[in-house]
Amino acid sequence: MSEATAIQPDLEFAQEIVDSGGEDVRKCFQCATCSVVCALSPEERPFPRKEMIWTQWGLKDRLFSDPDIWLCHNCNDCSVHCPRGAHPGDVLAILRKLAVAHYSVPGFLAGWVNRPAMLPLMALIPGLLLALAVILRDPIASTFGLATHHGEGMQYANLFPHWLLIGFFSFFLGLAVLLAGVGAIRFWRAMKNADRTADRIESTNSLGSSFITVVKDILTHQRFSKCTSLAGRRLAHLTAFYGFLALFLVSGWAVIVLYVINPLAETPLPYPFPFLDPAKLFANVGALALVVGCVIAIRDRLKDRSETGRSTDFDWMFLWLLFFVGITGILTEALRFAQAQTPGYIIYFIHLILAFMLLIYLPYSKFAHLVYRTVALVYAEHSGRGIDNRSEQPAQ
Amino acid sequence: MEQKTLSVHLCGGCEISSSIDLEALAQIPEGAECSTHPCLCNDEGVGSLKSAIKSGANALVIAACSPRYKTDEFTFDKCFVERVNLRELVAWSHEPNDEDTQMMAEDYLRMGLVRARKAELPEPFDIPIDKTILVVGAGTTGIEAATQAARAGYEVILVEKNSDAGGWRRKFSRVFPDKPPYGQLTETNLSEQIAEIEQEERITLYTSSVVAGISGQPGQFDVDIRTNGDVNRVRVGAIVQATGWEPYDANKLTHLGYTDSADVVTNVEMEEMLAENELKRPSDGKPIKTVVFVQCAGSRDKEHLPYCSTVCCRVTMKQALRARELHPDLQAVVLYKDIRTPGQYEDLYRKAQDDGGILFTKGDVQSVKNGTDGSLSVDVRDTLLGEQIRLDADLVVLATGMVPVSADGEANRRYQDAQAVIEGGSTGAKLVAAQKTVAELEPYVSESILNLDYRQGRDTPVLKHRFPDSHFICFPFESRRTGIYNAGAMRAPGDTASSRSDGAGAALKAIQTVELAAQGKAVHPRWEDMSYPDFFFQRCTQCKRCTEECPFGVLDEDEKGTPQLNPTRCRRCGICLGACPERVISFKDYSIDIVSSMIKSVEIPDEFDEKPRLLGFICENDAYPALDTAGLKRLKHSPYIRFIPVRCLGSVNIVWIADAFSRGFDGVLLVGCKSGDDYQCHFIKGSELMGTRSDNVREKLTQLALEEERVRIEELSITEYDRLPEIINSFAEEIEEIGMNPFKGF
Ligand code: SF4
Ligand code: SF4
Ligand code: SF4
Ligand code: SF4
Repeated sequence: MSEATAIQPDLEFAQEIVDSGGEDVRKCFQCATCSVVCALSPEERPFPRKEMIWTQWGLKDRLFSDPDIWLCHNCNDCSVHCPRGAHPGDVLAILRKLAVAHYSVPGFLAGWVNRPAMLPLMALIPGLLLALAVILRDPIASTFGLATHHGEGMQYANLFPHWLLIGFFSFFLGLAVLLAGVGAIRFWRAMKNADRTADRIESTNSLGSSFITVVKDILTHQRFSKCTSLAGRRLAHLTAFYGFLALFLVSGWAVIVLYVINPLAETPLPYPFPFLDPAKLFANVGALALVVGCVIAIRDRLKDRSETGRSTDFDWMFLWLLFFVGITGILTEALRFAQAQTPGYIIYFIHLILAFMLLIYLPYSKFAHLVYRTVALVYAEHSGRGIDNRSEQPAQ
Repeated sequence: MEQKTLSVHLCGGCEISSSIDLEALAQIPEGAECSTHPCLCNDEGVGSLKSAIKSGANALVIAACSPRYKTDEFTFDKCFVERVNLRELVAWSHEPNDEDTQMMAEDYLRMGLVRARKAELPEPFDIPIDKTILVVGAGTTGIEAATQAARAGYEVILVEKNSDAGGWRRKFSRVFPDKPPYGQLTETNLSEQIAEIEQEERITLYTSSVVAGISGQPGQFDVDIRTNGDVNRVRVGAIVQATGWEPYDANKLTHLGYTDSADVVTNVEMEEMLAENELKRPSDGKPIKTVVFVQCAGSRDKEHLPYCSTVCCRVTMKQALRARELHPDLQAVVLYKDIRTPGQYEDLYRKAQDDGGILFTKGDVQSVKNGTDGSLSVDVRDTLLGEQIRLDADLVVLATGMVPVSADGEANRRYQDAQAVIEGGSTGAKLVAAQKTVAELEPYVSESILNLDYRQGRDTPVLKHRFPDSHFICFPFESRRTGIYNAGAMRAPGDTASSRSDGAGAALKAIQTVELAAQGKAVHPRWEDMSYPDFFFQRCTQCKRCTEECPFGVLDEDEKGTPQLNPTRCRRCGICLGACPERVISFKDYSIDIVSSMIKSVEIPDEFDEKPRLLGFICENDAYPALDTAGLKRLKHSPYIRFIPVRCLGSVNIVWIADAFSRGFDGVLLVGCKSGDDYQCHFIKGSELMGTRSDNVREKLTQLALEEERVRIEELSITEYDRLPEIINSFAEEIEEIGMNPFKGF
């Protein structure tokens, strides 16, 4: 450490963090209790005290290129033990929110997606797009010779034929994945750059093995299990996570059935899947799990701040969205069985709007944590920082 | 000497009668009436004492509990009372009904009888006492001291060297509050306080004035106040020195750029800039965007001020908040080693932290240098950012610490003495020694402040870092000059609140002094003692030991070097008595003869009984209470020791030790208070002096062909009662190993 780094506090950026809900960061007197109690923080350059100091200084670049803010699972242990009420857990949450906005392209969308006042507009967009799709359904079908009628009675496919639905969502989902990928790459580069400047890239694990380690951790929620103050948060996440995963897989299976298996098979598999089809059962359990997970999470977040940390619009909008996607999905199915056409179509339409908002707005909403946290974990594992190097760490 | 009529009373209460054979004990006093009572301290017991006095007794020997208890019950007008401690020292700390226990009780009674016969009731001196209080320095502390003394009904003379009263606070536009809410800056309110001292009839304020000389003693100080060349002589009874502080000299902080740039200022200069209500870069008048505050500038630094001045953190918070009030666009960065906001001032810290334009951050400032485009560049190490950083600043404020405005009276005097030797044309070793002293003391000499006409120097002695020598916790405000009290930032660095409470405290001490002096009584710690040293000058050889060793500068000398007593300066420690080789000095109830006779009254069993005898001189201030506590806890100690309480370990004259050995004692144990930098000696130097004198004692022992281990000095604090039995027993064992004193029976 021979040369001094020229550095100037950016108190305006610090103010931005304060205004976004991290106002207690100023109370921090740098005692490091938080870093000691945090069960997830590595021994070397632990978080979150480091981030508290950077935040006080307003060191934007360091904060956004810091994988550590994503290694935190917001268990609130640190905030509970902070002697000053600086709520480091909340500050990290705010930093994650700002990081999403920072890396996403186009950045302004993050501002729109997470603001309740913009909600009508943000729902209107997919609403109009879907309506447009319905209007264009028949012209397209006749041009390309595609089926528009899928059977008698109430069939959602009669509203949105499979080709239309899959084409529509594939297009936008592809766009979202692309944009999220851009954000992820920018983030990765920033992390790498910061480490290079600080002269500490170790690269102990290959990218592939790091990725596998991280996926294993995500599937087991191993790191999350070390949180003691908010054990319920892990349960909620685990439930919703697997629920969502199940739905996602069954949707994929449906596409495969419709476009790979059935065209080749002699006796096509029935679609929509009958109620007792294993895939259907799996999806129904998944939908239930998703809703239950959301309910636990919502209940948890409604508790006192001292227990759960602060919840911002960023958290709430995502959580409610997820919840209503699950609810409308279940209702849609129920109404199909009930053959209630008009309410069924309405609910289905709403469900699609919500699903669009959940999936397509992913790069800008809290859902982006799926990308950024994974990338940060992989990076941490890859750069030798490790995602699991504090095996026994009681939170007291 | 008035004829003594003794009356002896033995108490059987508090387990005494179940452990000591009182009937046998009652045989000891010969030629005096002796009675036993089951409980002397109840109404009936006290009644029996009163009736003894009525029937003519003028000296009572009460053999009961420790003299530290039941003082109200056992104090009688115009009657000498000797307390023999049978309870704590004998009954509670020895085997009941043992032969040795009985012998011990008998010896203590014998010693008490001797003392009662020989000692006289002290008579207070009677000199006219002036009760005016002089306060030197009319800053925050001085104003408070003057106001409080005046409110209590005393005349006050307040001397201020500047043209106006008020001190540093005159310069401050805002202060941090001295009452809740602690997060809110306030005005100084100085004008109200100045108005009060100006309106108060009892206070006479001398501005643009200094103290040119002080002679005399408490109750009779003659003070020369010089105002622009005119000297006024006034008489006062006691003095509060509230001369305050000055900022540490920032010119010595070269690494912090103070000498290189006009834009590096001290916190005091910042205070002046803030008072203008506008901040500009001192160098070029440009607006200021970033201010960097460097905390502990020169403080807690071995090279500069090793201590913490306690206020600088809060001053910086105040200044940063004020600067932001004046210029909301300005950013302040505070670089600190540790933030220290004592007590409720945490609120001020929170308030400053909450301000979005103030950043507190830990780090060690390496250097402040001129940077580009006229700004400064600050290098900081050991930051929590984990690297060495460089910050740009338009203004750097050095939070410098407080240096007491005091003078080292003793150093000044030694310096002048050495100067006189050099100028007097001495040669050889004397000259070399004097030159060495001069060189050594050079950094410590300064102009005198009080100009005391005292033999030991013209100012009060100082301790570390030039703060006055007074035990911080046990004897706050006291200096080593009776009747002169230190207060405010010159006593210990502090803020307005602590200065004001100091001012009030010192004023109360000053009032105590004049009131007690008027009654001929001592001040703390021998509060209310009316005895004082008497000099039998025919034998004085003018050796000057007493005038040198008196810790309180009580004794002046006439031209021949004969000591001159100033009784109201005296704390009655008896150190002079211990120092005098000619046995010139005595108190009515404490003298060479009294103690020698007590020593000689102890029965020494002959060599073949294998019962050694040890003599313990035990300091009354802390060690004796510890001994009482050991008794209270029923901790047993060797029955071979006999204790004589002394006023201070320094009051032990080595004649007594010689007497003990020639009487046949096998060892002498001396127990006193802790000496050294964190001394606990109530008379500052007593136990330390005993340490020096014991070298002479050892020499004497060797001359007598006695082992030097026969004398042991132990230092003890009042809480260490549990160590005492161990000390006594291990000494007893050692003496048994060495063997009996061969002088026994001579
Ligand atoms: S956030 Fe709290 S616990 Fe952590 S360093 Fe700051 S004051 Fe300490
Ligand atoms: S919220 Fe939990 S995981 Fe995050 S920094 Fe605090 S203690 Fe660590
Ligand atoms: S040595 Fe003690 S007793 Fe003697 S004159 Fe000084 S203060 Fe008084
Ligand atoms: S110590 Fe004794 S002999 Fe020496 S000057 Fe004092 S009184 Fe005189």
